[in-house]
Amino acid sequence: MTVAAGIGYALLALGPSLSLFVSVISRKPFLILTLLSSTLVWLVSLIILSGLWRPFLPLKANVWWPYALLVLSSVCFQEALRFLFWKLYMRLEDVLDSFADRISRPRLFLTDKLQIALAGGLGHGVAHAVFFCLSLLTPAFGPATFYVDRCSKVPFFLVSAIIALAFVTIHTFSMVIAFEGYAKGNKVDQVIVPVIHLSAGMLTLVNFASEGCVIGVPLLYLVASLTLLHCGKMVWQRLIESQNQSGSTLR
Amino acid sequence: MDRTQRPRSVLDSLGEELIGILTPVSICMFTVVLLVCLLNSDPSSSASFSSIATAAYSETDSDSPWDKLLGAFLNSLVFVAAITVATFLLVVLFYLRCVRFLKLYMGFSAFVVLANLGGEISVLLIDRFRLPVDSVTFSILLFNFSVVGVFAVFMSRFSILITQGYLVVIGVLVAYFFTMLPEWTTWVLLVALALYDLAAVLLPVGPLRLLVEMAISRDEDIPALVYEARPVIRDDSRLVQRRVWRDRRSSQNDDDLENNEVVNVVRAEEDEQRSEISVPLIERSRPESSETFLEGIGLGSSGAIKLGLGDFIFYSVLVGRAAMYDLMTVYACYLAIIAGLGVTLMLLSVYQKALPALPVSIMLGVVFYFLARLFLEVFVVQCSSNLVMF
Repeated sequence: MTVAAGIGYALLALGPSLSLFVSVISRKPFLILTLLSSTLVWLVSLIILSGLWRPFLPLKANVWWPYALLVLSSVCFQEALRFLFWKLYMRLEDVLDSFADRISRPRLFLTDKLQIALAGGLGHGVAHAVFFCLSLLTPAFGPATFYVDRCSKVPFFLVSAIIALAFVTIHTFSMVIAFEGYAKGNKVDQVIVPVIHLSAGMLTLVNFASEGCVIGVPLLYLVASLTLLHCGKMVWQRLIESQNQSGSTLR
Repeated sequence: MDRTQRPRSVLDSLGEELIGILTPVSICMFTVVLLVCLLNSDPSSSASFSSIATAAYSETDSDSPWDKLLGAFLNSLVFVAAITVATFLLVVLFYLRCVRFLKLYMGFSAFVVLANLGGEISVLLIDRFRLPVDSVTFSILLFNFSVVGVFAVFMSRFSILITQGYLVVIGVLVAYFFTMLPEWTTWVLLVALALYDLAAVLLPVGPLRLLVEMAISRDEDIPALVYEARPVIRDDSRLVQRRVWRDRRSSQNDDDLENNEVVNVVRAEEDEQRSEISVPLIERSRPESSETFLEGIGLGSSGAIKLGLGDFIFYSVLVGRAAMYDLMTVYACYLAIIAGLGVTLMLLSVYQKALPALPVSIMLGVVFYFLARLFLEVFVVQCSSNLVMF
């Protein structure tokens, strides 16, 4: 694929995250560090999973249930890791608060905490897009492109970029939901995040059917928009709540 | 939400210094990866590359893995021995107060790197992209570029951005040439250098430790090439002082590849002035490592972080060599190196003494490279070529 097409596919998968990065995350150096560390955590989880599954690969083509098992195990592992990540974040929050007290600055605002969660989620999403989409894209520069049989209408790279975009959205905003859910002890939020992740993973299995991606990808985007809506609603409620709590000043 | 009314949160400026050092490291690595991808379409070019690092054994494709490993060990041994000798020579010269000679030599080697290596890479790029440039223009531009570079790294009042840019360029040039070493040699060499670093800084007889202690006791600058991030001004704490830009360049990582000269790879040394405040300073880190730097009055601990140029070079060599295999390993190694750098800085603030910056990052980078190459790639390609993602 030509350089222009390649850059186009890369921007398709990572464009919104790039604009999020430039507008929100690059303003505060701490958020950049959070993004890098959550990317690292996702990479480590992927390496561990690939180490565990290595003896069983390569899987037979056209058989879909080993992939289902793979997706299930991976999602469970990553959700467990997300909980650990949150525990780590709570400790970090304590350290930051005590540091703020020491230099007589205000403690972390609600928006700060939400931004940290957003940076964490974006790190996961960017890691997904980089490893599942970009790393296959960049060696393929040159003449000609690649089509897979199961999704023959669209070049492979375009489909993987589109799917990666959906997953970036899901990862980014489900981290915000998860952090708020764990912090408030809200069971609905805590359960909905693994459910979203698992259903998104299982939906990609639909791509196994011939021309399955015509159904699978729009359904995936449905899940992504549901995540976005839920996250937006939750954040809005929290902001209104905290504004009411502290009177006129927004804290 | 009226932003101007809110007091500034602690999150607004935390971690600024770390980002100030991560950005040039990332730029250096990215440029080296770009050069490797653009210029490496034919693998046969590495066969003609010879330097002191391949003096003991030059790898050919037909050797068995055991032979290659053995040869790589010999190569690294020779290289590390050469570096040790050169560093001890530097210690001796510094002890005899031949600082002016060292500075002149460093200026000369900076010029050689920029003109020679820079010129070679420019020619390769011109060839690759078919740019129409005539040789007279090219030589004038190259000469100007190199001379400005020498001034930038030596004069104290130069614009900080240009100085930083030139240091990154020197790092990129040297690193690109190091990536042209044969594969096994590169990996064993990186590990050997990480171990050497550990020894040279932490052992009492290590040359770098001697150098640093001498410089502290004399309160002088070590002649060295060091990247210095922009000092941070905190306007809320009591210190409000931009550090006077000090002249402190000299020794340099240089490798005159064409002439097979003795490689004078002296790690970037660093030194810093003790400040006169009562709070004990974080002691100067090891030459090749980064350090935080207290300045001015007051207890705020802001200041520029300095990282030796050799660190830049060897991180970029690792990432460049990973790029020769596949870009997935590049991303994995990049994250590993950044994590290692973060861990080193944390250890620095905990232990408050000289620490080497190479070992943690290189070890993590090598481990992640092999893990990515052996496990990750198969897994990810399997999943994504069937459009199964999670």
